[in-house]
Amino acid sequence: MIFLTLIRQELLTHLMSARFFAAVIITLLLVVTNTFVLIGAHEERLADYSQKEAVNRETVAATPAYSVLKLKVQRPPNPLSLFSAGLETRFGSDIDIAFDSVPALSDPIADVRPEEEQWAFGSVPSLSNPGVPLGINNPYLYLFSQIDLAFIFQVVLSLLSLLFAYDAIAGDWETGTLRLVLSHPVGRGSVLLAKYLAAMGCLLLPVLMSLLLALIQCSFARSLQFGTDDFLRIGGIVLTTIVYLSVFYLIGLLISATTRRAATSLMLCMFLWVILVLVYPNWSRFALNPVGDMRAEKLSANQQIAQIREEADRERDRFLASSPLKGDPPLFFDTFTGTDFFKGGGWYLGDFPRVNIEIELKNTADPLVTHLRRYYEFAATLQIQNAEKVYLVGEQLVAQISRRQARWDERLMKLSPASLYTFATAAWAGTDLDSMTDYIRAAQTYRRTLIDAFHERDAFASLQWFSTNQGTVDWSILPDFRFERADISINAQRALPELLLLVFINLVLFMATFLVFIKIEV
Amino acid sequence: MIWHIVTRELLDHLTSLRFALTTLILVALMVTNAVVHLQTHPERIRKYSENVSASHTELKSRTQLYAMLQKGPGKLYKRPSSLTFIADGGDAFLPSKSVSGGFWRLYGLSYIWAMGVPRLNMDAISNHRPTAVVIDWVFIITYLLSFIPLLFTFDALSGERERGTLRLCLANSISRPALLVGKFLGSLIAVLIPFYFAVLFNLAIISTESWTQLSGTDWGRVGLIVLIASCYAGIFIAIGLIVSAMTRESRLSLVVLLLIWVTAVVFMPSTLGTLSTKWMPSVQTHHQFRKAKSTAFDQILSDFLNKRETLKERRQSAGTSQEAVAEVETSELEIQREFVNKDMETREQLSRQHLAAQSAQVLHARQITRCSPAAIVQYALESMAGTGFNRHLQFLENCHLHTRQFRDFIVEMDSADPESLHFIGIPKGMSEKPVSPAAIPMFEDKLTFQDTLNSAIMDILLLILLLGIFLSGAFLVFLRSEI
Repeated sequence: MIFLTLIRQELLTHLMSARFFAAVIITLLLVVTNTFVLIGAHEERLADYSQKEAVNRETVAATPAYSVLKLKVQRPPNPLSLFSAGLETRFGSDIDIAFDSVPALSDPIADVRPEEEQWAFGSVPSLSNPGVPLGINNPYLYLFSQIDLAFIFQVVLSLLSLLFAYDAIAGDWETGTLRLVLSHPVGRGSVLLAKYLAAMGCLLLPVLMSLLLALIQCSFARSLQFGTDDFLRIGGIVLTTIVYLSVFYLIGLLISATTRRAATSLMLCMFLWVILVLVYPNWSRFALNPVGDMRAEKLSANQQIAQIREEADRERDRFLASSPLKGDPPLFFDTFTGTDFFKGGGWYLGDFPRVNIEIELKNTADPLVTHLRRYYEFAATLQIQNAEKVYLVGEQLVAQISRRQARWDERLMKLSPASLYTFATAAWAGTDLDSMTDYIRAAQTYRRTLIDAFHERDAFASLQWFSTNQGTVDWSILPDFRFERADISINAQRALPELLLLVFINLVLFMATFLVFIKIEV
Repeated sequence: MIWHIVTRELLDHLTSLRFALTTLILVALMVTNAVVHLQTHPERIRKYSENVSASHTELKSRTQLYAMLQKGPGKLYKRPSSLTFIADGGDAFLPSKSVSGGFWRLYGLSYIWAMGVPRLNMDAISNHRPTAVVIDWVFIITYLLSFIPLLFTFDALSGERERGTLRLCLANSISRPALLVGKFLGSLIAVLIPFYFAVLFNLAIISTESWTQLSGTDWGRVGLIVLIASCYAGIFIAIGLIVSAMTRESRLSLVVLLLIWVTAVVFMPSTLGTLSTKWMPSVQTHHQFRKAKSTAFDQILSDFLNKRETLKERRQSAGTSQEAVAEVETSELEIQREFVNKDMETREQLSRQHLAAQSAQVLHARQITRCSPAAIVQYALESMAGTGFNRHLQFLENCHLHTRQFRDFIVEMDSADPESLHFIGIPKGMSEKPVSPAAIPMFEDKLTFQDTLNSAIMDILLLILLLGIFLSGAFLVFLRSEI
């Protein structure tokens, strides 16, 4: 009974206080303005997405031969980036789907490759990694960072929870209220629990109110459609928010119980907040680089790729030795000089056996055409195999460098609960690194199905593979690309480690506070 | 009397917990900043000088005037500022070199060099690693030198009022303004002592290495930067005093101050920037820009072809008359020159327009974010340190000036040769005399103290104005407040 009275009394003091009122007003104001900005940004991304899709469709429809297909796939914008932007607004959206390169998370060799080679068109087989993110007309605007809703909670509400906590015990101890309360037949644990529950109830209020406001704003914008699963994901974000705020409240409570002086406790709380929320996450990225730049590994991978390329060249020469085609591939000018055989064109730059040829055949009856066709089929198959070999080398490097770097960054940052919260919400929203990897996988699978579809149609051996005037190309064989965000259960699985860690920190802090509190002399 | 209050305030602060914590955190951050700068800066300088010397050698290898005109002044590199540790300013993301644009070969003619739109280094932001802000002086100053003053002043007046010491103090022969000035100076000095201490630490570490040592003007810039930072801290002390004088309870005053701080320092600089672009006319997308360029080229090309047709007719009608044939040949060179030069000018103009539209948007957004003192101090420090967006614009301007100088040089060399036909832009019409490599103008990106100060002066004045406003605000509020 007294327990309930205690909770009610604590709740009332918090709710009636001016500080709570001011904090709620500011939070709501920030949420409303930022939601407005974020919805606008999302709409821009959507518009860009559909525009780029249309351009892609046009390009494909206007492609005259199979081999010169330039296909790009896009990642549709994720509406939950409103709550936690994660990598969504920064990670590239379009990936080239090509026969001679396999999509990968990043191209880790890019910075050791000599500059001339980077732009030498098609001479170096590489991984095709995502290009620019969606919705940036003016890339200079990246100088202004964007703020998502999780960041507002992370900064403002954690500050508020510390402000609730810093004098919860120290203040009562100083004013003597603690002695008064404990003179009642009530356990110290109950007093602590009552304080905790009341404060968490108060903190829940601004979270839910801002969520409600944000959702109302979203319902006015037609572009943002949330499904049932999305609401569950938002629920996950709210749950994480509460656990996160509870960490900060308990930190404040522990400091309050240990110092027993409100002024000291306040200073410690404020400095700890600055360090945990503002300084440490940035500091760890800035000061620590446990992976290093791995230059030797990159160079050796570059070497391996060069070897793959040389081997492919040799294989091509072996094939050509038994062929009547003379001269330099892919157009064999020496064989066809003087003959009115075809009009050349297309891309035949670089010495790598490229597969992209676009020529106008004049005389198909010539037996040399068969040989040409056979050579192009061989070259296409060779290059597809090659791309996969290069990918294996590259993927190893991606795992060794890019992924490891990102994992280490995360691990170090996660020493602060604020970063734990950021990563957990990104996992719920499907904007974390794992979700981006899902997208790369989908693009890889798509490339595979595309090649299979080409094989099924025997496109590699057909005349339409390289000639622009021998029958029309049938683009209906292109499979559709559809990227589905991961299932909610997978999102939950990915958010679970961070969430559990936060819960664990909560438990430890609560135990510690309890132990300190029962020993306080009043 | 004032000095008495100042020393008393100062002593109060010096022995407090907050002073110790402030010193600790500032020194830790400044030391990290210096150590990371020591590790990264030499590499940056090395890369720059390598690039520049490669570009110079390439330029000197050309001796023909036409080749020089066609390849242009080569790649122009932005010199990394020696004060990057003070303000990073997104330098990893902003372009570090100029590029040319547009390549074609038609009818025996070829493009000539024009400055294109410099490429932004998208890898710096668009990658898979978690985002983080660079811990430079700007970070330390904008966040901590605003947060800490609030912690020093939130109870300066409200706390004394709660305890009743304020009444006691004013019962003596101390005027209210004197008390306020004493409080202001006492807190300001108490905040600045750890800051200066940390700055000295930082500069001492940076001076240990010869690669990162600062020059005379650099020290002048650092001095001004420290003054700007002190002014910024003063603004927040004044804000703290205003709120502290207005509230009865120091707890409430702290909450109000922290909320003001969160809004003004953490949120306003980014939110307002993005928000303001919503009401601005949108700029050309990359796609549209490329389309505009190709339509312009098509137009120029068709003009050229039409003129060529009429010339062909004239040639046929000229028959065998020597004079008429010679005249036709001259006009052919004339229209070729016009074609090549017009293409170059249009490309350059379109690129400049595209860049100007993008820059205007950013500058406008920055104008609006200047509502927040944090943004003002960030821009002032970036300009003073020679990084960031203002520096980027200066670099582009330098490149543009150099391009003009380079072209003038070619025209001059050509007109000095009596054998040349003086048709700039086509191989047949230009001097074939080799140019001495020593005479070729070389690009050297430089940044004078004046450049940095000129672009920062508006922000510095704004900061001083804000300090004046908030200080007088504190006076007004405190003079009228009840004890």
